[in-house]
Amino acid sequence: MSDVAAKVKEIIVEQLGVSADEVVDGAAFVEDLGADSLDLTELIMAMEEEFDLEIDDEQAQKIIKVQDAIAHIEKAVG
Amino acid sequence: MALPNLKFGELTAKLPIIQGGMGVGISLSGLASAVANEGGVGVIATSMIGMRDPHRAKDPEAADRRGLIDEIRKARAKMTDGLLGVNIMCALTNYGDMVRTSIRERVDVIISGAGLPLDLPGYLRDVSDELREEMRTKLVPIVSSGRAAGILCRKWFNKFGYLPDGFVVEGPKAGGHLGFKAEQIDDPDYQLEILVTEVIEAITPFREQHQKDIPVIAAGGVYTGEDIARFLEMGASGVQMGTRFVATHECDADERFKRAYIDAKKEDVTIIKSPVGMPGRALKNSFLDAVATGLKHPKKCVHKCLHSCAEDQSPYCIAQALVNAYKGKLKNGFAFAGANAYLVDKIVSVRELMNSLKDEFERFRK
Repeated sequence: MSDVAAKVKEIIVEQLGVSADEVVDGAAFVEDLGADSLDLTELIMAMEEEFDLEIDDEQAQKIIKVQDAIAHIEKAVG
Repeated sequence: MALPNLKFGELTAKLPIIQGGMGVGISLSGLASAVANEGGVGVIATSMIGMRDPHRAKDPEAADRRGLIDEIRKARAKMTDGLLGVNIMCALTNYGDMVRTSIRERVDVIISGAGLPLDLPGYLRDVSDELREEMRTKLVPIVSSGRAAGILCRKWFNKFGYLPDGFVVEGPKAGGHLGFKAEQIDDPDYQLEILVTEVIEAITPFREQHQKDIPVIAAGGVYTGEDIARFLEMGASGVQMGTRFVATHECDADERFKRAYIDAKKEDVTIIKSPVGMPGRALKNSFLDAVATGLKHPKKCVHKCLHSCAEDQSPYCIAQALVNAYKGKLKNGFAFAGANAYLVDKIVSVRELMNSLKDEFERFRK
């Protein structure tokens, strides 16, 4: 697992209050991890702050699963 | 003591009363200008505002844009006082266009809910760049929790260096779509009094740190001058009211829509599951009964109005149902309404309504 992936998962665990073993690549934030729209917004904000980047609303809408978040951040930080 | 005024930065309304935006078509230029002229904040609802445009089916976005410009200008032409606002739901597919058009038309306030308006200040910046002028439209999100208010403050400030110009806090007694889960609606932990306190707490650090007065407006079930007094005592700067303004001569809806409020009994005010995936409060009628008993209406989506609508699974088109209700065709639609709608017993002028609210407030605060 890349450093980015590990960090993203750590943020997800912290923000959503879920256990680390639930945060698998294929887990969907809403259906599997029980996030609501405010949780998702806070999660995006936490990732923006951690990686010092901006995720606009349109991109954020496409982040459905853990792997989407990791892929987005990995691409953004290059 | 008389009712205090309501300030959004350099803009002042004489009365701390916002007339809630009511779509589809219930609050247009007629109602909004009448409320403004009495010193309040009149609000035009933008959802499906181009519904009467003969070319809407071909190009809904252009029709809604024309409709919005027309209503804003008509309201301005009648206004001698007060502030003019628009209500724009985040869930609208033409959200960005409605926001930009409103800013270009120089409305005083944009009130935006049904989702978190995370990018709202970006539009203000874009239109300011486009017109090479600092636009001063005030941006007021609608929230249903302190948490949402805090998130918006943080996000807006980090991204745009801008803090909200106010918050409307909408509790579970409001009419129309509600920002709550069905089981929260009657839960005392979610009553408006608690939410207002929560929102004030959440924004206090931002107010203090940035020296910006962010007025909090209480909404959902506010009915009398005494209610206004209670919320002002709790630290709110104003209230937003919808239901009361439906039962006015100036309300833009058909008389049959208003009549539905007058005829409604307590047991007629009900919670429905809207096709857009949120609960909503409405007045029971034969249309909703038919929906509840599984009667399926033909599904054809011509409006494409909402992001969140599961149109292939909806038993009916809510946009069309609300357009029908606005026109008084309640057999093919239904009226959204606040929890206190059954208290409405007559239609008055906006002036009479405002005067009675003022009197009740003064009597209570004597």
